[in-house]
Amino acid sequence: MENFKNLPIIKKLGLNRIILVGVLILMYLLFSLGSGRWLGSGDIMNALNMVDYLGFLALGVTFVIATGGIDFSIGPVMVCAGLIAGRLLVTFGWPLWLALIMCVVVGAVFGVFNGILVAYMGLPSFISSMASMMLAKGVGSVFTHVQNSNWPASGEVNSWYKYLVNYNGFPTGLIFLLVIAILCSIIMNKTKIGRYILCIGSNREAVRLSGVDTRRWEALAYVLCGTLAGIAAITYVGVITQVQPGLGDEFNNNAIAACVMGGTSMAGGIASMGGTVIGVLIISLLRVGIQAMGFRPDYQYIITGIIVALAVFADIRSSRRKK
Amino acid sequence: MGEVILTMKGIDKSFPGVHALDHVDLEVRRGEVHALMGENGAGKSTLMKVLTGIYTRDSGTIIYEGQDVTFHNPKEAQEAGIVIVHQELNMMNHLTVAQNIFIGREFMKGSLIDDQKMNEEARKLFNQLGIDINPAEKMGNLTVGKQQMCEIAKAISHEAKVIIFDEPSAALTESEIEELFKIIRDLRDKQLGIVYISHRMDEIKVITDRVTVMRDGGYVGTLITADCTKDDIINMMVGRVIYEDPKTHSMVAPDAPVVLKVEHLNAGKMVRDVSFELRKGEILGFSGLMGAGRTETARALFGADPKESGDIYVNGSKVEIHSPEDAVKCGIGYLSEDRKRYGIVVGKTVAENSTMASLKDFLKGIFIDRKKENEATNKYIDRLKTKTPSVDQLVVNLSGGNQQKVVIAKWLVKNCDILIFDEPTRGIDVGAKSEIYHLMNELAAEGKSIIMISSEMTEILRMSDRIVVMCEGRKTAEIDIAEATQEKIMHAATLR
Repeated sequence: MENFKNLPIIKKLGLNRIILVGVLILMYLLFSLGSGRWLGSGDIMNALNMVDYLGFLALGVTFVIATGGIDFSIGPVMVCAGLIAGRLLVTFGWPLWLALIMCVVVGAVFGVFNGILVAYMGLPSFISSMASMMLAKGVGSVFTHVQNSNWPASGEVNSWYKYLVNYNGFPTGLIFLLVIAILCSIIMNKTKIGRYILCIGSNREAVRLSGVDTRRWEALAYVLCGTLAGIAAITYVGVITQVQPGLGDEFNNNAIAACVMGGTSMAGGIASMGGTVIGVLIISLLRVGIQAMGFRPDYQYIITGIIVALAVFADIRSSRRKK
Repeated sequence: MGEVILTMKGIDKSFPGVHALDHVDLEVRRGEVHALMGENGAGKSTLMKVLTGIYTRDSGTIIYEGQDVTFHNPKEAQEAGIVIVHQELNMMNHLTVAQNIFIGREFMKGSLIDDQKMNEEARKLFNQLGIDINPAEKMGNLTVGKQQMCEIAKAISHEAKVIIFDEPSAALTESEIEELFKIIRDLRDKQLGIVYISHRMDEIKVITDRVTVMRDGGYVGTLITADCTKDDIINMMVGRVIYEDPKTHSMVAPDAPVVLKVEHLNAGKMVRDVSFELRKGEILGFSGLMGAGRTETARALFGADPKESGDIYVNGSKVEIHSPEDAVKCGIGYLSEDRKRYGIVVGKTVAENSTMASLKDFLKGIFIDRKKENEATNKYIDRLKTKTPSVDQLVVNLSGGNQQKVVIAKWLVKNCDILIFDEPTRGIDVGAKSEIYHLMNELAAEGKSIIMISSEMTEILRMSDRIVVMCEGRKTAEIDIAEATQEKIMHAATLR
């Protein structure tokens, strides 16, 4: 095993990532076997719909988890952005491009809010993100008078935003996601922002005592997270079209679960954007696969729960061994 | 003094690389207060930890009430009647006094906790001690002094026969100390054996009957307190032979400018009106006993903790330091005494740690220039002789001495001119230690100025050009190396 671990190719790609891809392929085979047919392009497209917005959420929250924090507001923030921008587009007649930018702006504003609460005011991220989760739900509902926000359906005027997710069967959303994922990976691994985010997650006080303004970099992680939740909103409305107020909680769980599966440590300091993307793929495939096998979709929660528990357990085990 | 209740004889204990206790003896009688004294690291705490079963002894015997005993954990010792009242109180502030005293052995009424009964029992204990505390009060509302009384009450409730006080007076006010002494005298009159660990020489004379002195893990001797003077005790504490050559005179040029001036620095209880000057190329030693406020002074100066007042001048001009960021901008670097918590990011690489303070000098556009970063890191790996397979090694995998070198590299990469070394050789093996000494001398010769906080007398005498001694938050002496002796320093360190 030690020899195997030291193979150059394994080292370069990372054992964890190889295992994750293996799991993904295994799942595909399992579901195909279980449902008695190969999962076809229809199923895959179905899964991919979810991959897009879940992917952006998960990439964003990876930054926050890397600092050792958590953000439970991303799902509701995404929905809130979709609601607000949708009403601005449909009721107030804003141009579509401006409405899409508004999605990102709403996400970023919540990110700034979370960043200030956590980094500058010292609130535990668990609590502050709960607060902004409630706020996001409330603001979205109030702004739309608890009505659905109906974005233009395919074929209607102003429906080109849907091409961002799917262009006549071509998964543009996936390309969009991969580009942003690579960008995130570069930010995390090659820039000062990422360096300090990871170091803060590993030992905040040592970074502060090195003369670094840790508050600024920590807050920035939340801003990145919020902004990505705003981008997620664009792909979310691209898939869903009809945004309902009051939703969003389950997206948090799936996004955070994807991060953890991908090898990002809940304790902070270690993060992998590639792992996060694979985690999102696993969760999305799980959902489709379970339905294809004829189970009710609820079962995916049970399986996701078990996988998350195992992933966190493995994370704790490995960090204990390090000490 | 009554009969002997506790005898520790020939207690020996080694940790990897350290001979912590070298055949130490201690005898405690019923109805006596027995002082245990010694410098930092003399082995007092280790001895008490061996007694109460936190450490297992390598050899030696413990005879308690005529029986040969070995306790395997503090609970066993407690059940037998040996209790430690710790310096840092282990109390739960949101519980009541009575709940704290009876934690883990609550009085029950069926399956419910009987708070009324616990309050009554606690009140009985307090009456017995002659102190006035409401058992239903929340612990957090009491002063530190009262909380300590509760610890003592808890000890009594365990039917203690030997009570060990570990620096009980450190956090108390004068009047609280009076009250504490009254209780200790009461306990003595009730024929308990009391071990009293303290650095305060004056208290030793007031409260104790006998005093046992330890030095460098060894037993020096036991005296009747009434028959000896303060100087006798100090001489026993420091009377060691210094193997390394102490510095005989200051290496600082007579006309060297003052690079750092601190005036009337105040920060909390541990930093009271501290003023000093640091000159170019000087190693300024900060000596003192545990809790003298040296680290607190350094942290307040560095902006790591808030300060209440005080002026700081760097190279003659007044600077405002409110955060480590400000301090680093002034060219000050700080090596913490607690390397793992405050010095390094253990989960990151040597390179990442080395450039932590100066990352903005290693940017190419928005990207980190890894090549430049590795070059700088390698430069200091060579210069400091850091033993690491590569710049990409995680710091967690390095030895203590090499981790310390990475922290030093961090400040050298940042090109800081004023370096605060807080216990720079703590937890480092002998070889790496002399390397670090060598390096500090080199840095000073290059014109860097160093504040060195150290609890090791030999280190202070070997490295410093000038020595500031602190005691309980105040500067009590400033001694040029040419006039410094162990006795002088220890005298100033116990000046209270």
